[in-house]
Amino acid sequence: MPELRKDPIIGRWVIIATERAKRPDQFAASAQGPKEGPCPFCEGQESHTPAEIYAIRPNRTPANTAGWELRVIPSIAPFLRIEGDLDRHGRGIYDLMNGIGAHEVVIETNQHIANIADLSDEQITKVVACYIDRIKDLEKDTRFKYVLVFKNYGWVAGGGRVGHSRSQLIATPVNPKRVKEELVGARYYFEHHERCIFCDLIKQELDTKDRLILDIDGFIAVAPFASRFPFEVWILPKKHCADFTKMEVCLRRDFAKILKQTLLKLKVGLNDPPYNYILHTAPFRRNKVGYWKSIDYDYHWHIEIMPRLTRVAGFEWGTGFYICPLPPENAAKFLREVKI
Amino acid sequence: MIGRWVIVDTDHPSAPSDFEIEELTWAGGVCPFCLGNESLTPPEITAIRDPATLPNTPGWQVRVVPNKFPALQIEGDLNRKGLGIYDMSNGVGAHEVIIETPYHHKDIPDLLNEEIENIIATVCSRALDLVKDKRFKYIMIFKNYGPSAGASLEHPHTQIIALPMVPKNVLEEIHGAHAYFEYRERCIFCDMIRQETQEKERVILENKHFVSFCPFVSRFPFEIMIAPKKHSSYFCHIPKEEIPSLASILKDTITKIKKIFPKLAYNYIIHTTPIDGEETEGYHWHIEFMPKLMRVAGFEWGTGFYIVPTPPELAARYLKEIKD
Repeated sequence: MPELRKDPIIGRWVIIATERAKRPDQFAASAQGPKEGPCPFCEGQESHTPAEIYAIRPNRTPANTAGWELRVIPSIAPFLRIEGDLDRHGRGIYDLMNGIGAHEVVIETNQHIANIADLSDEQITKVVACYIDRIKDLEKDTRFKYVLVFKNYGWVAGGGRVGHSRSQLIATPVNPKRVKEELVGARYYFEHHERCIFCDLIKQELDTKDRLILDIDGFIAVAPFASRFPFEVWILPKKHCADFTKMEVCLRRDFAKILKQTLLKLKVGLNDPPYNYILHTAPFRRNKVGYWKSIDYDYHWHIEIMPRLTRVAGFEWGTGFYICPLPPENAAKFLREVKI
Repeated sequence: MIGRWVIVDTDHPSAPSDFEIEELTWAGGVCPFCLGNESLTPPEITAIRDPATLPNTPGWQVRVVPNKFPALQIEGDLNRKGLGIYDMSNGVGAHEVIIETPYHHKDIPDLLNEEIENIIATVCSRALDLVKDKRFKYIMIFKNYGPSAGASLEHPHTQIIALPMVPKNVLEEIHGAHAYFEYRERCIFCDMIRQETQEKERVILENKHFVSFCPFVSRFPFEIMIAPKKHSSYFCHIPKEEIPSLASILKDTITKIKKIFPKLAYNYIIHTTPIDGEETEGYHWHIEFMPKLMRVAGFEWGTGFYIVPTPPELAARYLKEIKD
């Protein structure tokens, strides 16, 4: 069972792999990605993955056979395990708990396509619907507090050996630190202004337009004012909404469209860079008294896209203070002008 | 939102073509930090050199120069302003480079203990000098070694950045340590060091004044912490007689890990108390050593929640078993 440990000083949790512990010779020395192997995620290879949890099968074909448009499977190398009860305990000054959680992989297409930007709007809409369905399903498990949805594209960004478009969901038994920080920040602003900070941000970005990249129907894509990385992009719904799973059904396609166009601009403009994206949404709120009472008003879901063009060095690690070599205004201008 | 500051380079904004997607080898070419190439760097701030040699000529052992492409600039007054919902500050600060050796291929394990002592003494004296500038609130000392650790030059060097604000990660650590101190009236680091030196499970090396161990809550495989055993807030106040102990544990620890991973890229950062900071009782300076063995992916970025594939107990055992 993996172990979760809490930093006694700043309160950060880490996951320690105890079973599949790596020996020193198992770390690849070079930064170069390994050669691509056979793809277990393509249609017809269903027997090479764990049994599916969820799939879109328009012709009602049996599970774990061909004839699907999108599949969700448990991770082959999960960071956290689904079985067991939560157990928190102490050891001297240290806090730990067992590594309960869920780790799922969304196979976004049955075709061997690497970048989600190359999928159709319809297919990306299915991916969005799948995220919502899976988060709602995991919410039923009361051991979980948060579901993180993210994508690692390209080797440098932590992607796998196989160039087949997929993303991951991890349900965690604690609210991750960065998620909490953002929630606390948003709540603080709300307490002082009685307005959502993200709504104010969207208004300001639509007014100044300096950092605006795309403005499509219900969504905008902007280079954030305090970008940590060159060409960092956030996509936000214009209408206030704290919870990604509460997105109106009619908006799903607009979201898919802006996500595709943004990622396509990065691909065309920057020569197909590796990237990560992370969905930021409200954690599960299970009628706890006094718990995040204003969250539906003060928080606003969004997605953060981080192309991996620079390396994070000692300074950034030590300070949490990022040096961004390109002003977001220049990045936005460049991306606005990229023809797709 | 979460109070994190970022630095935006508006003077030399990079064009999209300036970013290399994958950089596997060193650039090569002439090294400005090598012996004989002193004219290729900005004029030196200080140096440890042979008597009767002139500044910016050969004959030095350790040399400090301003960073040619500083993240922050030394001139000007601090000026914070607002822009709608956003906060800005101009980039006032100092950014210096300590060239650790005249020889291009010598990293810490290849140097003599006395040479490392010179580096530590030089870093301390620069920090003590920068502390005098009232505009600065924090002195950050760190090293990037190897291209995947973010080093742009191969020649071993340490960097000092003086900042006009206390960075977020440091503040968090200080708040955490202070909360523990308020509650128990003891330093959390002292308690941690006591627990580690008693349990010994994660300890790599220990000498009279210092201990090196793999932290219980490592974020990275083979992460190492080096800390003074006696409570001490400021790195730059390290007593002269303790410098040889620090040099020796630093050298022996890095030698061990480089024996396991010969081509290792790494970062280390000195965590020290902010200048005239509030609520800093219960903070204890230390060095965080982070080997670059993994690719940080979306999950870590999104959550600040790290996945460590080698438990620190196991990493410590591998490191302990390496013979010098």
